[in-house]
Amino acid sequence: MIEFRDVGKRFADGTVGLESLSLTAREGEITVLVGPSGCGKTTSLRTVNRMVEPTSGSVHLAGQDVAEADPALLRRGIGYVIQQAGLFPHRRVIDNVATVPVLQGLPRREARARAAEVLERVGLDGAMAQRWPAQLSGGQQQRVGVARALAGDAPVLLMDEPFSAVDPVVRVELQDELLRLQADLGKTILFVTHDIDEAIRLGDRVAVLRVGGRLAQFAPPDELLAAPVDDFVSGFVGRDRGYRRLGFVPATALRLVDLPTRADENGSSGVPGEWTVLLDGAERPAAWLGPDGARHDLGSVYVTDGADAASDGAGTLRGALDAALSSPAGRGVAVDGAGRYRGGVDTDDVLALLDRGAP
Amino acid sequence: MRAFGYEIDELVVDHVLLAVVPVLLGLVIALPLGWWAHRSRGARRVLVPLSGALYTIPSLALIVFIPVLLATPILSPLNVLVTLTIYAVALLVRSVAEALDSVSDTVTTAAVAVGYRPTGLLLGVQLPLAVPVLTAGVRVASVTTFSMVTVGALVGVQSLGTLMTDGFQQDYTAMVVTGIVGSIALAFVFDALWLGLGRSLTPWSRARAGV
Repeated sequence: MIEFRDVGKRFADGTVGLESLSLTAREGEITVLVGPSGCGKTTSLRTVNRMVEPTSGSVHLAGQDVAEADPALLRRGIGYVIQQAGLFPHRRVIDNVATVPVLQGLPRREARARAAEVLERVGLDGAMAQRWPAQLSGGQQQRVGVARALAGDAPVLLMDEPFSAVDPVVRVELQDELLRLQADLGKTILFVTHDIDEAIRLGDRVAVLRVGGRLAQFAPPDELLAAPVDDFVSGFVGRDRGYRRLGFVPATALRLVDLPTRADENGSSGVPGEWTVLLDGAERPAAWLGPDGARHDLGSVYVTDGADAASDGAGTLRGALDAALSSPAGRGVAVDGAGRYRGGVDTDDVLALLDRGAP
Repeated sequence: MRAFGYEIDELVVDHVLLAVVPVLLGLVIALPLGWWAHRSRGARRVLVPLSGALYTIPSLALIVFIPVLLATPILSPLNVLVTLTIYAVALLVRSVAEALDSVSDTVTTAAVAVGYRPTGLLLGVQLPLAVPVLTAGVRVASVTTFSMVTVGALVGVQSLGTLMTDGFQQDYTAMVVTGIVGSIALAFVFDALWLGLGRSLTPWSRARAGV
């Protein structure tokens, strides 16, 4: 647990970095600090490992005031991921990751064994271990940065805009990776970003900060989307928030409908006059067959269980609506976590659910 | 090897010692000063111009003045050694500061964040990464020192410069040329050694994607 108690920071030149921040990042959760530049999010992050000393208030880590800890020892017990990875260019990947175990006093051989384990955990194979950081792509460097932060086995991770320097596709991969790791590891993570979509995707709770480190709202992401407290937050959360919020609403009351299906074989014909789903050998939908006998793209599918991180059992209303709207047939295709055909999603059913105020 | 009435081997060894020792000593003295200048804006404003100003003192004046200061015999090679060390420091303080400046902030921030203390940070991260820029500075200091050693011959301290002073007096061109070519050649050899040392310390700097 990380606790900010009335933390203020006035810099030597008189600028106010933080006015008075009070906030608790809960054990085992991802707490995201988000806000425009100058809102003090990085400053507040750095008060946790004493890279910035507050001028008022205090920060407590697992109940201990960090001001009483030796800064270097404190930092060795907190994982830190920096923007652009901040890898040591003169050390091979494996030794970058082994840095913290070595600082913690582990013999080099054991530290490297530990580093190899962690590298595997973040999805980097053994061949990468002997490379220099300059030989890696941005996404790979960032993975190594995460591995380095995990190698010390710290219960707390601080992440300062870790994914902002990579391209959008890789960023989503890295975000998924983090969520997967977090499901296994259950670290207490304080994550700083200026990207509200990233905040909503990753955060168990999201703190929106105004300039000067004033807390505008601190809430779970769906609450932030549903009920922004003021114009600043709603402006920051952005457009389409009603639609985006459907991504947090499980479609428990949605009944699947039966659709005509056929095995996808050479020259297979559909049910006359109807839209038919073609299934491959593993029962996975492959395409639509139109009433005219032409093949059509499937559109996006509604995933009913398990595979969607935001759901437990049912998929999300956003997934259902998107499947229905993107299908050429007027009805969407539902699949299970393994991609097998489960049924159809009727647009009218989804709209009726929305109409009943399901969210 | 004997030529022009001198043991050339001895002159070469003297020349090398008089040139290499001051550069090494200069580096040892310049490292903490340069680190200080790198860390503190105030220290930099004093140290860098001050060390630069040392360079404006005429070398002959310094060589003659040092015995007064240190109470060394006027003909002692120590006077040349100290003089050249002062010049090496003058050149290297700025080099060390700039070499440390060249290390990316992101990297030093990351090093502090994982729990390095200042000494570990300097020795384990900053210095190794400063080597490319530092090598460039040391090479300049080395070449300069090799050519300045010859000035010592004017006050009777032996080096390849002795062949030049004596050659001039005897109006013996081959002797003068041997001194000049020899001291230039030594400067080149040690420049290559410094370059090689710098490269062997920085295999990472030549690593590129796909290698």
